[in-house]
Amino acid sequence: MATVVTVTSGKGGVGKTTSSAAIAAGLAQAGHRTVVIDFDVGLRNLDLIMGVERRVVFDFVNVIAGEATLNQALIQDKRLENLSILAASQTKDKDALTEEGVGQVLDELAELGFEYIVCDSPAGIERGATMALHFADHAVIVTNPEVSSVRDSDRILGILQSKSKRAKEGGKVHEHLLITRYDPVRVENGEMLSKEDVCDILAVKLIGVIPESKAVLKASNTGAPVILDQDSDAGLAYSDSVARFLGEDRPMRFVTPRKQGLLSRILGGGD
Amino acid sequence: MMKAPRLRANRYSLMTLEWPQESEPLADWLKAQREKAPALMDEIAIVLKPAPEHPPEEIRLAVETLDQLDLGLMGLTGSPQHRVVADELGLAWLSSNHGPIESESSHEMVASQSPDTALIMQGPIRSGVQIYAKDRDLIVIGQVSEGAEIMADGHVHIYGRCRGRVAAGVSGQVSAEIFCLTFESELVSLAGTYCGSDQIPEELWSARVRVRLDESSQKITFGLMT
Ligand SMILES: Nc1ncnc2c1ncn2[C@@H]1O[C@H](COP(=O)(O)OP(=O)(O)O)[C@@H](O)[C@H]1O
Ligand SMILES: [Mg+2]
Repeated sequence: MATVVTVTSGKGGVGKTTSSAAIAAGLAQAGHRTVVIDFDVGLRNLDLIMGVERRVVFDFVNVIAGEATLNQALIQDKRLENLSILAASQTKDKDALTEEGVGQVLDELAELGFEYIVCDSPAGIERGATMALHFADHAVIVTNPEVSSVRDSDRILGILQSKSKRAKEGGKVHEHLLITRYDPVRVENGEMLSKEDVCDILAVKLIGVIPESKAVLKASNTGAPVILDQDSDAGLAYSDSVARFLGEDRPMRFVTPRKQGLLSRILGGGD
Repeated sequence: MMKAPRLRANRYSLMTLEWPQESEPLADWLKAQREKAPALMDEIAIVLKPAPEHPPEEIRLAVETLDQLDLGLMGLTGSPQHRVVADELGLAWLSSNHGPIESESSHEMVASQSPDTALIMQGPIRSGVQIYAKDRDLIVIGQVSEGAEIMADGHVHIYGRCRGRVAAGVSGQVSAEIFCLTFESELVSLAGTYCGSDQIPEELWSARVRVRLDESSQKITFGLMT
């Protein structure tokens, strides 16, 4: 049985795709056969973050439409042998993702022996997003520490627990909270919600806090999930998050402002 | 592929604006209400119920006033002779003897247990979710998020933090009350009388609170649950 992990948020630009790539790579690093699927039909960018954009011949929609086999569309990651990518198409037709079609692809992926299927959900509650939610066993709710993002996440959680397949069958989707773009200095200045505030509003178990980090942009420019950059705070924070997702207990890092030296304070610095 | 449209029975929260014959000016009263509960007035859909004595001309002016205040007027109700006014103004006519329509939407949960016992819901009740316990009490175990709406014809009990909207006695039961362990509601309503979070006494914010309707004054009163 494969486990479907949907990465979602409600709002765009909060770090879903960054997180999907990192989580999928992290699960693969931990020895699990993993595939990550881009549900953002029309806006595909998971393939860029994963650095496979030149290798996309067939995509998710082609497979659903029967224009290609799953094996033709799956892209094997060159760095991690346990990791594959299924890209989204450029087509603008969001209705291409039918419930039946998506369900069939997920079943087939399970038959191919994948243990984890990570779904990168688009923003909003349109077709791609509802499809990614529909099949979720686990949901990773990506939230930025600001009121509007938290509110959207709350709304998505409500939809998840009423409209997903699991919920309709009387079960529950496992919820995990991932706070991204966390800036401890701004939190301390009261410009951002603290992780405690976010947890208090959402009442979901926190699996990680990813700091605002330049490493994320660098990683996306080089087409490597940021979790592979183990010299970076964001990379380490994602590794911790994946470990917690898999049941490990780890202390939170990078959640308090770094002590700045006198010199960098005078120079207005830090990185 | 063509998709068939479909008709579904849904229940929406509409409010009836009862407009007596010897009324203070509607515009003034509505503006005052908006100041008291801005969140409510911005979001509600209204059905105007003029007194039978109102002549069509006054109703037309009232509709204009509502439009100017940008309130969501859906239609008219009340005496049958006013139906033509609704037709003329392109408004819906709602005959008031219609009972509540049960919802089919799964995002909205309506009680379906045997009557008399309370409907028990496990929280968190999330933003955008509506729960209505018809003909009974509602018990929520856990939190109610901001943007969620919980309603009952009977009492509402919340064993947790409530930041959402709560309505008890929604079909007019004036004895209905609200009990909440950590009270931070954005809006409360008892038997149709509303009040926003700005009217909650400061010392009762986040407290164990009991809310009831003072029958003589028709005012919502807040007190510590002791
Ligand atoms: N931890 C982070 N630090 C800095 N920038 C980030 C971080 N996470 C995401 N970003 C940036 O935010 C933008 C949106 O991220 P993305 O993962 O595409 O979000 P989504 O998929 O939710 O729309 C991108 O430019 C990305 O580089
Ligand atoms: Mg994205």
